[in-house]
Amino acid sequence: MKAELEAFVLNEARLLDERRFAEWLALFAEDGVYWVPTLPGQGSPQEALSLFHEPKPLLAMRVARLQRTDAHVQAPPSRTVHHVSAIETTDDLEVRSALVVAEWRAGEARWFAGRVLHRLRRSAEGLRIVLKRVDLIDSEAPQRAIAVPF
Amino acid sequence: MNIDSLWRENSVHRAAYVDPAVFALEQERIFRRAWLYVGHESEVPRAGDYVLRCLGPEEVLLVRREDGGLSLLHNRCAHRGARIVAEPAGNARQLRCPYHAWTYALDGRLIGVPLADGYAAKPELGLAKVARVESYRGFVFGSHAPQGPALAEFLGGLASAFDNMLDRAPAGTLTRFGGALRLEYRGNWKMFMENAVDLVHPNYVHRSSVEAARGEPGALEADSLTQQGAQMFLANGMRGAQWDDVPLHAFPGGHVYMGGFYKGGVIGAQREDPVFAQYRKQLVERHGEEKTAAVLAVDRFNNLVWPNISVNSRFAAMRVVHALAADRTQVEVLGFRLDGAAPQMHELTLQFINLAASPASLVASDDLELFERCQRGLSAAASDWIDLRRGVLSDRRQADGSTLGAGTSELAIRNQFEAWLRHMR
Repeated sequence: MKAELEAFVLNEARLLDERRFAEWLALFAEDGVYWVPTLPGQGSPQEALSLFHEPKPLLAMRVARLQRTDAHVQAPPSRTVHHVSAIETTDDLEVRSALVVAEWRAGEARWFAGRVLHRLRRSAEGLRIVLKRVDLIDSEAPQRAIAVPF
Repeated sequence: MNIDSLWRENSVHRAAYVDPAVFALEQERIFRRAWLYVGHESEVPRAGDYVLRCLGPEEVLLVRREDGGLSLLHNRCAHRGARIVAEPAGNARQLRCPYHAWTYALDGRLIGVPLADGYAAKPELGLAKVARVESYRGFVFGSHAPQGPALAEFLGGLASAFDNMLDRAPAGTLTRFGGALRLEYRGNWKMFMENAVDLVHPNYVHRSSVEAARGEPGALEADSLTQQGAQMFLANGMRGAQWDDVPLHAFPGGHVYMGGFYKGGVIGAQREDPVFAQYRKQLVERHGEEKTAAVLAVDRFNNLVWPNISVNSRFAAMRVVHALAADRTQVEVLGFRLDGAAPQMHELTLQFINLAASPASLVASDDLELFERCQRGLSAAASDWIDLRRGVLSDRRQADGSTLGAGTSELAIRNQFEAWLRHMR
């Protein structure tokens, strides 16, 4: 099963890099949530602010926007590499990994790093994301505009 | 520098945005003179509590003293200049420099110097104090200028923004909570303040999130977070003439707010769920029916306190703009808990900030992109003058000294430059 879970998170990262956002969105369960907290060890999105806190319908709007040509912050679009490593899995479908994202856009490069928690569920269609939580090492730092999810 | 050469009838010279010499003068004449927000009293409740903040170009410590008062001290040892504190917040009985252990009381007095007998006379230097510190109902401001208007006078017509936020708290007090979101852009600080009251840009800049929300009609019946987001995104799709029904109220001193924002229920429509009903009942107990209705009816968006604050009392949120260089700005977004209200009410604040003001926001990210494009554009000497005439014909002077203008007017920006010129001359 470890291999299956590893393949799942590596594929998820690749969909983002290839800007296949609709396919990426489809990996989320209907009640799935994408969450990037601001505080290290933050207990919940209700406890403090978040960089992203998006249930699937909001994430769907984000993805719809990313596919338009008038999203100014993606003109020109970003090129990213999501580097996923140090993957650990549990029997109850939790996957922990280390993430480094390199992004190049409009002549400038930048980097993000953090730890990721995937909480997954089996469904008829296959594995689905119930929660993807990304804890950036600089979650409290000032950030320039962010468009592509981590 | 001749500041008047940067302004002519309703136009500003691009140097106001790109010239480092103008920025240096702004630091001196605006950010070292005006009242600037530094923190909230609830962040330093106990004696010895401190938070590390920026007050214009200086790093300062806001400290709660033993006598309950507040000190605002420069975070710089009087001996060799080391930063005394490096953590963003903490509690201490005294402030001790890590370099040679000069030690200060919570009011900045020097109380300990190692090897003191090596000095011909005992050193008496304390931590430098910020010239003035005042609290407006819990919101603490500092000014580097020893003289100037008192804080309430400075806030003028926009003190009401803080009043309204307090009036919305069932217990009558606020508590800062939730950490902060911080965003940055490679552009001038004034762009953020101008854009916050520019009602022509949403229909163009935010078109992609408007259309994305229109494509998900089910979102308005989804969970409350998604509903809030969809309403917010859709609101930016109003056409020019509709925005004119959101009048601008400009006040002397550069302050401005947009009124009538929620009339059509476009953003954060009045909630009717049991949580809100209970909250409203609490307010009635505190204020009575009539005042409660008036407090909740305040439908302003972006109360701007010049030079660098935007308050949204309806969502108990505030943005503070930090000017770092002519072409570099950071914005801090802060939330407040309405003391006495149910936790679900606070979620509204967090959600509003996450959706509207995160650097990853579907809305704010496009604003940041446009600021950077403006900065790049203005850096070129193609032409020098920026036209700010839109809406001059709709300005209506009011009896209280404020000026009322159509929502699509550039009145707010002209009003900000009036204050800018007065400080810069």
